[in-house]
Amino acid sequence: MPVVQRLAESGWLPESLKYAFVFNSLVAALILGPVLGGIGTLVVTKRLAFFSQAIGNAALTGVAIGIILGEPYTSPYVSLFSFCIIFGMAMVFTKNRTKMTTDTLIAVFLCISLAIGACILLYVTAKVNVHVLDNVLFGSILTVNELDLNVLFVISFICIFCGLRFYNRMVLSSFNPNLARVRGIKVIFLEYLFILMVTIITVASVKIIGAILVEALLVIPAASARNLSRSMRGFFFYSATFSTLSCVIGIVVPMELEIPVPSGGAIILVAAFFFAVTTAIRWLRRAYPALGKI
Amino acid sequence: MLTKNEDPPHGPSICFEMVGLCLNNITILQDVSFTVKAGNMHCLIGPNGGGKTSLILSLLGQTPHTGRITINWIGGTTIGYVPQVLDFDRTLPITVNNFMTMICQNMPAFIRTRKKYKDIINNALRLVSMDTKGERRLGELSGGEMQRVLFAQALIPFPDLLILDEPGAGIDRGGAKVIEEIMLVLKKQKVTMVWTNHDLKQVRQMADAVTCIHKEVLFSGTPDEVLTTERVFQAFGATSSGP
Repeated sequence: MPVVQRLAESGWLPESLKYAFVFNSLVAALILGPVLGGIGTLVVTKRLAFFSQAIGNAALTGVAIGIILGEPYTSPYVSLFSFCIIFGMAMVFTKNRTKMTTDTLIAVFLCISLAIGACILLYVTAKVNVHVLDNVLFGSILTVNELDLNVLFVISFICIFCGLRFYNRMVLSSFNPNLARVRGIKVIFLEYLFILMVTIITVASVKIIGAILVEALLVIPAASARNLSRSMRGFFFYSATFSTLSCVIGIVVPMELEIPVPSGGAIILVAAFFFAVTTAIRWLRRAYPALGKI
Repeated sequence: MLTKNEDPPHGPSICFEMVGLCLNNITILQDVSFTVKAGNMHCLIGPNGGGKTSLILSLLGQTPHTGRITINWIGGTTIGYVPQVLDFDRTLPITVNNFMTMICQNMPAFIRTRKKYKDIINNALRLVSMDTKGERRLGELSGGEMQRVLFAQALIPFPDLLILDEPGAGIDRGGAKVIEEIMLVLKKQKVTMVWTNHDLKQVRQMADAVTCIHKEVLFSGTPDEVLTTERVFQAFGATSSGP
């Protein structure tokens, strides 16, 4: 950190990096970007985009529970992780037991979570200023501290380790569970593990991107990457790149230009810009096949 | 490619004893008993919805069936399985080579294919005449091409027991011939094959034994013995769906 500060003071790096919160949020962005982009390819492949939204909503309820239980309102991690993990695991458990379609199940759980959150929030507003929740909902780089960074480091390490180790098997399980089982893959275990990965990385992203918008960063970069790539390599690396660039640009640009917007909103708008451009490229390639060779 | 490093493989024999399956209070299979001899190509025929795929899944240990299914392994214990379909978003950028890589190795397919698997994958794809289409997206393949890829994956690693769930469905003539030829080679190598099939002509030509399933075993034996016009009519004519 002091090196970065000195470089910022001497003019080699942007002046804003002098501030610890800016540095913290950029570090967080550089970690979160590739991890969310990478996991996003699995979310899109396994068609679980709405699941991450349900977890995002559960995060809001988790924060509310944390405040009620007396945790610090800037980092109620115990309640956040506990509630979201129970919520995610309950969803997979119910899906496996009832064989209900995923979209119906997610809608049911999403509504339940919001209903609990709405009820508890009434009590929360009596304890803290309700605008505190804006930071949780839409992200704020001002509140990122070292604890958040440490949590992010640990969670990202777990996600990267599990992701690299089980990526192929998770994809195969979604393609044909019977084939996967014949090949010795523990389909149910991997289903729980994947949901756990999405849940913990969602919770770890709440401070930067916000509970409502994390889902977007799991889906939009992967969807943009799909527009451009023809193989898994392109799919994964484009997705990680778009996600990282969205995080960095979404944090740096509003700060440098002094535009007062929540970091989550800005990040997602940048991601949406990538999506629009890549969709246009895909459309042009289809309309003019000669362009596809460029 | 179609050989093992060790002695020639010899597939297992399989014994189905009073196998039953009931899902949501609907009886799918009832008192199914027959034997698949070691190294035989054994076809399962029967009308649609008769329980062939359920019996295959029971054999794979993936249904809560009753009764007993015993696999008496003789040589190795590798099972190859050719499913009917893959359920995936057809716009995904996943190529045939990516899919085959995912089958072979733990290292994510987006990083690279390990050198030792490249030749194995190429050989398997060459056997089904798909080696020139390794960079095609899975979603761009025709039904027949997809079946060939699914067949190719079942050959890695070399199977002792090959289970095929209607591999001929939707396949083109060329593809069917390619797969037939490989199956004949596997038959010579004494790989046990359990194969659900709708093509009775193919069953007569290739199978060592055939069992007709419609909830229960309607008949079982060698094709010459049991595939009489009368029996086939009885099995398929009694239902609206034919062979």
